[in-house]
Order: sequence, then C-alpha cells, then structure tokens
Amino acid sequence: MRGADYVIRRIGFALLTIFVAITINFFLFRVLPGNVVSDLARVPHATPQLRHALTVEFGLDKPKWQQYVIYVRELLRGNMGVSFATQQPVSHLLLNDLKNTIPMVTVGTLGAIVLGIATGILSAWRRGSAADHVSTNLAIAFYAFPTQFLGLMLLIVLGGLLPTSGMENPYAGVFGPQSSVARLQDIGLHLILPALTLLLTLYGEFTLIMRSSMLETLGEDYVLTARAKGLRDRRVIARHVVRNALLPIATLVALSIGWIVGGAILVEYIFSWPGIGQALWQAVNQRDYPMLQGGFLVLAVSVVGLNLLADLAYFKLDPRISQ
Amino acid sequence: MRMLRNMIAPPLALALTAGAAVALAACSAAGTGSGSSGGVLHIGTTYPIDSMNPFVAQSDYSYAVYEYIYPQLVQYNGTLGIAPDFARSWSASDGGRTWTFHTVPHAHWSDGKPLTAADVAWTINEVMKYKNGPAGQWAGLLEHMIGASAPNATTLVIKYSTAVANVLEQMQGMSVLPKQVWAPYFTGNGSKLKTYANTPPPNGKPMVSGGPFEMVQYKANQYALFKRNPRWWGPKPKIEGFGLQFFSNADAMVQALKDGQVDFIGEYTPPTAVKALKQAGFVVTTTPSLSMKTFIINTNSHKTTHRELLDPRVREAIEYATDRSQIIKTAWLGLAQSGSTIIAPADGSWHDANVKVLPFDLAKANKLLDAAGFKRGPNGVRIADGHPMSYNVIFPPDERGTGDRTFQIMQADLAKIGISISQQNMDDSATFNAISAPGNKYETFDMAMWDWVPPVDPDFMLSVMTCAQLGNNSDSGYCNPAYDKMYARQSTLIATSARRALIWKMQQYIYDAKPYIILDYPDIIEAHSTKWTGFTVSPVMGSVNSLSTATLLQVHQK
Repeated sequence: MRGADYVIRRIGFALLTIFVAITINFFLFRVLPGNVVSDLARVPHATPQLRHALTVEFGLDKPKWQQYVIYVRELLRGNMGVSFATQQPVSHLLLNDLKNTIPMVTVGTLGAIVLGIATGILSAWRRGSAADHVSTNLAIAFYAFPTQFLGLMLLIVLGGLLPTSGMENPYAGVFGPQSSVARLQDIGLHLILPALTLLLTLYGEFTLIMRSSMLETLGEDYVLTARAKGLRDRRVIARHVVRNALLPIATLVALSIGWIVGGAILVEYIFSWPGIGQALWQAVNQRDYPMLQGGFLVLAVSVVGLNLLADLAYFKLDPRISQ
Repeated sequence: MRMLRNMIAPPLALALTAGAAVALAACSAAGTGSGSSGGVLHIGTTYPIDSMNPFVAQSDYSYAVYEYIYPQLVQYNGTLGIAPDFARSWSASDGGRTWTFHTVPHAHWSDGKPLTAADVAWTINEVMKYKNGPAGQWAGLLEHMIGASAPNATTLVIKYSTAVANVLEQMQGMSVLPKQVWAPYFTGNGSKLKTYANTPPPNGKPMVSGGPFEMVQYKANQYALFKRNPRWWGPKPKIEGFGLQFFSNADAMVQALKDGQVDFIGEYTPPTAVKALKQAGFVVTTTPSLSMKTFIINTNSHKTTHRELLDPRVREAIEYATDRSQIIKTAWLGLAQSGSTIIAPADGSWHDANVKVLPFDLAKANKLLDAAGFKRGPNGVRIADGHPMSYNVIFPPDERGTGDRTFQIMQADLAKIGISISQQNMDDSATFNAISAPGNKYETFDMAMWDWVPPVDPDFMLSVMTCAQLGNNSDSGYCNPAYDKMYARQSTLIATSARRALIWKMQQYIYDAKPYIILDYPDIIEAHSTKWTGFTVSPVMGSVNSLSTATLLQVHQK
C-alpha cells in the first residue's frame, strides 16, 4: 500500500510538473521581446494588410488568456498546432526531427555512459596509479572542453576521413544506385563525428561520479568483510562494489536519457545534423510559438518521464526508500 | 542578415529596347559552351530553403529554386539588364499602363500539359484575389495592377491603373505557377494556400516544373536535389542535375568543400576562409554586392531621450569619426567596398557616384561637437542636455564577426571625440522590436548596426526610408514627407534618365540627413573546385541566385 501511494504521488507530481511546464512555455516565449509577424512581414513593400492577415492567421489578435485556453484545449485533443514559419503541422515536423536526433544522441549518450562507468571503475580500483591519473585528468579535460571547440577540432582533424555534415550522402540513390546496406553504412559514417563529440563531452561526468561513488563504497565495512573472507579483488569489485556504487549513476543516466530527445544543439549545429536541437534554435530565432511550445513540451515530457522512471527504479533498487 | 527576396531589376529603357531583339542571355551562353556534358554539381550553402511554398518562403535559396523550376516572364542578364525568358518580347502602350508580352510558343510543363500565356494570366489574377490575405507576400509585385488576360496562347496583356516604372523588374520576381497543381488551393478564403508543402515524393507529389530543372528530392534543412526537366522549352543544361546541401555554419561548409563533399560554396563564404581556400587550390571569386552594412542613428522627431542625436552636427561628427578604410582593412580583410549611399555602386547607374562621403577626421568631429556646446565631462565623455553622450548600439546576431570588429573600431574612435557607445546584443526579432519601440513609434532607441540585402531595382531600398515603412521595414525611424513625395514620383517615371536623376537626388537627400552611415558594401565571396567552370556571378547571392538561370545552364565540368 505504501508502495502504491509512493507511485501515485510520483505520477501526480510528474503530471503537475508537465502542466506547469506547458504553462510556462506558453507565456515565456510570448514575453520575450520580438514578434513573429514583424519577422514574417518584413518583405519588400509589406503592407499593413499583410501584417494584419498574419496576426489574424496566427490567432495573435486574441487576448493571451484566450490563446492559452485554445492551446491547452487543442493540446488535449492531440493537436500541437501549425508552425508559423513553415505552415506545416508541428507534430509532423517534430517527429521528423526526433527521428534524426534520437539515433545520434543515443549512440553518443550510451557510449558516454559505458565509457564513463568503465573508466570510473578503473580509476577507483587503481586509485593513485598512473592509469587513475590519466583517466581522471582526461575526464576532467573533456568535461571542461566547450562542446563547440571539441566539435570543431574533430571536424577539422578528421574532416578528410569522415563525413563532417548532414546525416547522409544525399546524391547516392538519386543519381545512382544505392543498396539499403550501403545507405545504412553511409548514415553510420555520418553519425560518427557528432556522436563522438557528444560522447567525449559527456563521459567525463560519468567517470568522475562513478569514481567517487566507487571510492565511497570501497571504504564500506562489507567490502572489508568480503576481502577478509578471502574473495578475489575482481570478485569484490564486480559483486559488491560496482553494484552498490551504481546507485547515484542511475539518476544521472535517467537525466541524460531524458535529454536525448532535446538533442544536442551545439553538436547538431556544428555538424549540420537536422535534429530537434537545431529546430528549436531556429524556432527561437523565428519566434515560432507553436514549434517552440511543441518542442519544449516533448522535452519536458521526456525529462519528467525519465525522472519518474528513475524515482520508481530507486524505489525498487534502494530498500531504504520503500521502508 | 535581413533576407529579402529579390523582386526586381535594372534600367527600364535598356529593357524596353532590348525586349524584342536581345537573345535570351542564358540561352545563348549555354548554346556556345564547350565543356563536357553531365555531372551533378554539389552546392553548399548556409541558408536553407525554408519552404517550397512561394507564399510562405522567405529564404533566398527558396527563391533561387523557384527561378529554376518555374518560368518567369523575364530574367536578368550578366550586366543586370532585363533579358527575355518565357516572354520573348514585350511592349508598353497607353502611357505605360498596358503591357503586352509575347511568350514562348509550344512550351510544356514537366507533366506534359501546355504552358501558355494563359498560365501567366491565371497566376497573376489568382494572386491578386488573395493579395491582402494569404498571398500577401506577392502584393508588392502587383502594385497598381488591374489584372491580366491572355487573348491567345502566346499573348499576355497586363493592365495597370497608372504608369509603373519597374514593371519588368516586378515580373522578374513573379513565378508562373502550374494551374493543375495550385488551382485547388486558390479557393474560398485562400486558407489552404499556405498549407500546401509543394514538395516531391516520398512526402509529397511529383513536382510539376516549367523551368530547366525539376525537384526530385527534398529533406527540410538537409538537402534538395534537382534533375533536368526533359520537357523544358529552353536550352538544355549541361549538367545532369544539381543538389543544394544546407550547412548550419560556414566553417563546416568550407571544410566540406575542402573534403570534396561539395563542389561549390556560394553566398556568405567568410572572408577569413579566402586565403586558406586559395592556398588549397580552389577558385575563389569575389564580386561587389548590393548589400550594405549600416550604422543607424535614430532621427525620428518623436524621440524622447538623447534628443541631441537629432542635431545634424552630432551625426556629422559621428561620420567624421568613422574610419571606413580601417574597417574594411581589419574587419573585412579588404573584401568590401567603402560605403556611401543607400544604393550600392554594384547597382550600376542607379548609384550616385557624385555623393562624396566625409573623410575620417577626428579633429573636425571634435570641432563640430565643441561648436554645438557639448563639453567633455570628467571621464572624457561629452555632456548633452545634462546627460553623458553614452549610447547603446543595438546589435543583432547577423552582425557578429565582422560587425564585432567594426564596432570595436568605431567605439575606439568615437571615444576620442567624447562619445561612448556600448553593444546591446539581441536577436533579430528583438532588434526590430527594440528599434521600433514603443508600439512602432521609434521613441527610445539611439543607435543600431544592421544590414540590407536589397533587390536590384532601387525601389525597395528607397522605400525603406519612407514614412509608410515605419513599423514595417524602417529600421531608423526616418520619416520626411518631402522624401516620400520623391519616392512616390520615382515609381511612376517611365523614362529611365528622369527616374535615375530623381533617385540620385534621393540618395543625396538621405546621405545628408544621415539616418544611416553606410559603412561598407561587403563583397560576395564564393569558391569552387577547379574541376568546374561556367559560373556567372551576380551582385545578389552570387552565382546561384533568384535573378537568372544562367549559372546552372552554363556550368559544367572541365
């Protein structure tokens, strides 16, 4: 019963958070200086009629509270609206962007998680050794590098070896034959540099947290007991230390995975990756409210949803919570 | 950068006399080329197609694409004269209020349907119906137009309520749309018109083209691919097709050229890349452009703060303290022309070369401000009406890079005459908001840096300074009824010499009033692989543009 209460409370809190996020998203972009109609009407010989037509077309002639009610009502019906800039349905545009973003950010993030945990374990296990120093310093360095700097360096250094922009060779298949396997290979090659940039940017954080958590766990009495029992070092690390040290990593992993759908704006920008990060950046510049609201809604839902999952996982993983 | 579709073009008299006799520039050039045929040109650009719907699109490359897939009555030639395109000849009658065009006979759309003068009349008349609504972006092309008719398949008659000076230039910006595709959207209140994506499969329908190429694939913000239109009525392009690949940033685009992922990069190649590209063996072309960088000073009489900026002596002093040659040398690495009037020298005879700009002279600037009674305060900044002459300069992201360096040079020089300026960064949308605030009254802003990329015909750039553009295209708050009268008059002068004389007078007028200090006209920089030749540069957008089909008809591998 206590467990059910906990789950219901967490779900209720998540839904409330999403509702608050929807409301803030709606008003936040509207209080920013700037005006989508000014942007779109700035064409030669723009007439007051054009500005008026755009204002009415976008529903911006209505009071803000009325716009908000319409937005929430349509959202509950599953309608995210139409982009001001392209006049295409937001849900369709976001889906396309997500399809591009998720593979690249997933590879980069999962790679970072695996590499970060592995190097964190290694550093803690070999604390004070040369391997620890190299691993920890590299992790700090990559953690500190601005993403754009790292991305540009990779772009310049590996430019001749790997594709540096876009997510596929557009010409293959249209001006010549291309098999499905060759297309997948091509996309894979295009994915390497942006995913590698993301991996290198993210992994350091996992390394440092895993190392710290491992060191804390290594000092626990039960580890001493395990060693006193004569268990081999590898067995102690694998069975008793790593499993317990992974607990704080669970939150970080959940947060990182939640951010996957938000894309990686800088990485997408540097490598011209047509994902949701770039789309949101453009939408901000264009004051494309429906696109911004839709994008940030997806982002909010994914982050809150993954946090909820992390909370529920904690409930399962950590008996102290359920007690 | 303010992306403005290129609506219009060059000297009317030239166009009128050339109309019946001049061969299609692109046609003749393509017909005499000697390069090998075939190949697919890979083009890189940092400005993506924003929409394939011409009633939604704003981007330069959207309009460049329309130039290649839809017919226009006329286009520009290499010297910015009007050349025949779908219209082979034309004449004006009834004091310039009736225009008759004779179009190409036996032409077809890519789906096999006939392409006639009736298609042009249908497009014009349908757009007119919706010009105050969803087709509002095209309204400027139809000014004073009453309607169009097609008495037969090769004759188009357009009637105007008054003589219009730039009819041919307006028609250059108007794409002829296939009725069989667009008719279902020109219905009712036109609400469907802007919702049609106009893209090829797999997400759309096969495109119907009336130009030399047809779009075969398009992925938003990624690329667009084009193949020759086998039913095109003009000269066959030498290339098999071309692709536009969109880059988020210029560094990646330059790297893609170096790596061989693209063959050509147009518009907005950064000046800092020129040396490295030349060293790497690429052909780098620079050409003066119509675009201009402006230092804007609020001259609106309703200005409520820092009203000393309304004093002509202050603006004159600021120009004396503007070191244009240093800006071009340092910020542009020499790849820009010195600024003077609101019509760039690249616009040929429309530019008034007689306007003499004030030289860089700090002593004269100081003298002017001393004479105006603005004494220096304890920190060296002058005091005007009890407050320091310290101003925020609104600075949109388009100006980053070269604009930052320009600002630093101006800031240092203005400090020497007792004027302090600081950068106020904001995005484009917020910039216009801040300039026109509150409520399009232009009361509060002091200074800004921005730019223009105007069309070839000077009408648009001249219109920016009219009172009618307050709240629309005006980014200075300038408003003067005497200037407005001149503007209205120039748009009706059919005789080019008379129109030119008035336009020169207007340039001098604005130069003297100094709502803008035109800093420079940046060059268009583009680069391509040595394997390709046949590019025709233009002062707007470079080789691949919305003015002419010349480049992609002529370009070929060596």
